[in-house]
Amino acid sequence: MSASPLPNPAFTRRRALQLFGLGAATVALAGCSPTGTSGAASGAAGLNGADPTDFAFASWSLTEEAAKPALEAIIADYEKANGVSVKPTAFPYNEYINQLMLQVTGGQFTGAAHVDVAWLGSLAATGKLQDLSSLAKGRGYTDAALTAATFDGVQYALPWTIGAIGLVTNSEILGKVGVAPDAFPTTIDDFEKTLKDLKGLGGGLIPYAASTKAAQLKDILIWMQTFGSPLVDGDTITIGDDASIEAVAWYKSLYDQGLIAADVDRFDARSLFAQGRAAIYDDAPVGRGAVTGESPDPDLGSKLVPVSRPVLAAGDTPRALVWGGAIAVVSGSGAATAGDFAQFATSDLDTILADYAVRGLPPATEDALSSDAIASDVFGTQFSERITATATANPLWAFTAYSQIEAEVADRVQAVLVGSSSPKDAMKEAGAAARKLAG
Amino acid sequence: MTSTALPPAPSSPETMPAAPAKVSRPRRRAASALRSERPSVRLSAWIAVIVCGGFALLPVYWLLATSLTPRDQVFSYPPKLIPTEITLDAYTSLFANPQLFTYLQNSIIVSVVTAVLSVFVSAYMGYSFSKFRYRGRRQLMYFVLASQMFPQALLLVTLYSVFSAYGLLNTYTALVLSFTTFTLPLCVWMLKGFFDTIPDELIEAARVDGASRLRTIHSIVLPLAAPGLVAAGLFAFVRGWNDFIFALTLAGPDKQTLPPGLVNTYVGEAATAWPELMAASLVVSLPVAIAFMLLQRYLVSGMTAGAVKG
Repeated sequence: MSASPLPNPAFTRRRALQLFGLGAATVALAGCSPTGTSGAASGAAGLNGADPTDFAFASWSLTEEAAKPALEAIIADYEKANGVSVKPTAFPYNEYINQLMLQVTGGQFTGAAHVDVAWLGSLAATGKLQDLSSLAKGRGYTDAALTAATFDGVQYALPWTIGAIGLVTNSEILGKVGVAPDAFPTTIDDFEKTLKDLKGLGGGLIPYAASTKAAQLKDILIWMQTFGSPLVDGDTITIGDDASIEAVAWYKSLYDQGLIAADVDRFDARSLFAQGRAAIYDDAPVGRGAVTGESPDPDLGSKLVPVSRPVLAAGDTPRALVWGGAIAVVSGSGAATAGDFAQFATSDLDTILADYAVRGLPPATEDALSSDAIASDVFGTQFSERITATATANPLWAFTAYSQIEAEVADRVQAVLVGSSSPKDAMKEAGAAARKLAG
Repeated sequence: MTSTALPPAPSSPETMPAAPAKVSRPRRRAASALRSERPSVRLSAWIAVIVCGGFALLPVYWLLATSLTPRDQVFSYPPKLIPTEITLDAYTSLFANPQLFTYLQNSIIVSVVTAVLSVFVSAYMGYSFSKFRYRGRRQLMYFVLASQMFPQALLLVTLYSVFSAYGLLNTYTALVLSFTTFTLPLCVWMLKGFFDTIPDELIEAARVDGASRLRTIHSIVLPLAAPGLVAAGLFAFVRGWNDFIFALTLAGPDKQTLPPGLVNTYVGEAATAWPELMAASLVVSLPVAIAFMLLQRYLVSGMTAGAVKG
């Protein structure tokens, strides 16, 4: 993707995003062969009385052992109810967005696509996503969920499983330092003191398995927001401001004190936590199955307690990052039925509850969230109340080059952690690089 | 032409590719060190063998051990060199998944056809570069090699467009052609080096005996170049066997090969089924490992033939 500012000031922002989208499809993957993009998203999908037709449905979960049965059941139910055939398309999660972008821009894929809400900007830039706002009306989606599946004011997807990334703790380990599940530190100073107490337990315990590998160091962004950095002000990236520098300096101090460990990413953190070697880590609700499945402790599930992220000063709002999946509709053959399917999968109560029973991911509609099955899930409820309730989207997602921007920041933060750069110099450089990428 | 009319080419030291003999010298030295009468030399040699062998085989052992470990103990701390609990669950689930055998079948088809096609084309190209002199030959050689200079991911863009335009996406043809694109340059140069070691006099003798150019190639040159052909074929086979991104992008779900198939099956958004992934990796690597064991002497001599010319 080009790192230089757009050469033609007459270009609109949407046109720029389209070009960035094509660049992402070609460079990141290797991506490909774009046909021309069509500009703004086209009108609403949905059957509107028309006969349903066959369509394709893409999802990374169609390949996953644990999630596959849930999605196959949804597809089977829809096929049976409407007399159509749904063609499943699957790619591994780590390759999914590149492959999907490639197929969408190349005209190989039309229909319904399971997307991470973070990808909406990139996909919308292809000009092939439909505006689903008419399908979202009257279906009981929560406002927060609808917002999560919106980009640039357009409802490009219907929210499916909306949650957040926040702190998850092992209540048994925290109990050893006298921290009760409902009395988790609320300020950064108290949080750091608790981490020191946890380190004092010895035995190689990592108090907080925070991300320190470059691939996952984007987690630092939520701490920058906690320290007061907006990350983006208007259209300008503010990384390099005092708050971001202060956040990185604090992260470095945790690292130097051994309160966080070197070379940890999300997968490592889950493994450490599952083995009882870490007391706290960052994750989304999807991680619960992974840590309990990998743990030798059969009771770990009952010890998981999600907590609000500590704040800089008492009274501040805890920060959390929106996380979730949605279903978008790519214009073309079968798009109308794909829209109807997206609405069915994301808002039909029976379908949602059956899905929840298998995948355990937080749904996006009011009636589902208040149902007995979901309200009785203590972990899920606590996660919603303590983390998702104050979650916000990453402001950098507004830029199609957001993943490159995050990588630039992560590289500089890692330089600080290993001592080859100061927080101030690193964040100034990161901010400059990010602004250049943003154009 | 009859075979008796030809000189017994392989028996002459001048006409035999020199590489195999040279490659075997270090092996002989190593073997003699292991049997040395001096205990210190013997001990040092054995220590070196054990260390090097352990370094090479530990990952394979770890792969085997992980495949036999229950999933909740894979990341146990401290790590256990020998699993305390052994289970065959990963292998049971592996053989109960018919999709994996479809991936295996696709891998075999694509890799074998890629190897055959690469050897077929590169043999003639290599012979041409080695034995004919024509204007632009050298430039053409470097032009062929130049395709190796591009990042593969970049060429995927072009190949995807071309295959899409011709309706070849999601076919074996797309995979074989794309893999061959990358194997051909190295195979051509490898075989060119091998043909360089075959004396021109031998070819001239065949011509004097009345053999046509094609007969000379097929009956004289290619049999002598068998180690090189095997090496080039193995290289192309392994390239096709191991590729991930092209197979994922061009093959579609029905023609997907093992690398993307295994990732699709066992690597998820939040977790990886390590024992199953290791078991599958072990099982599917066996055919390649056996092929290598059977053909490794050809591979070594073929790969080094061009390097010892002159």
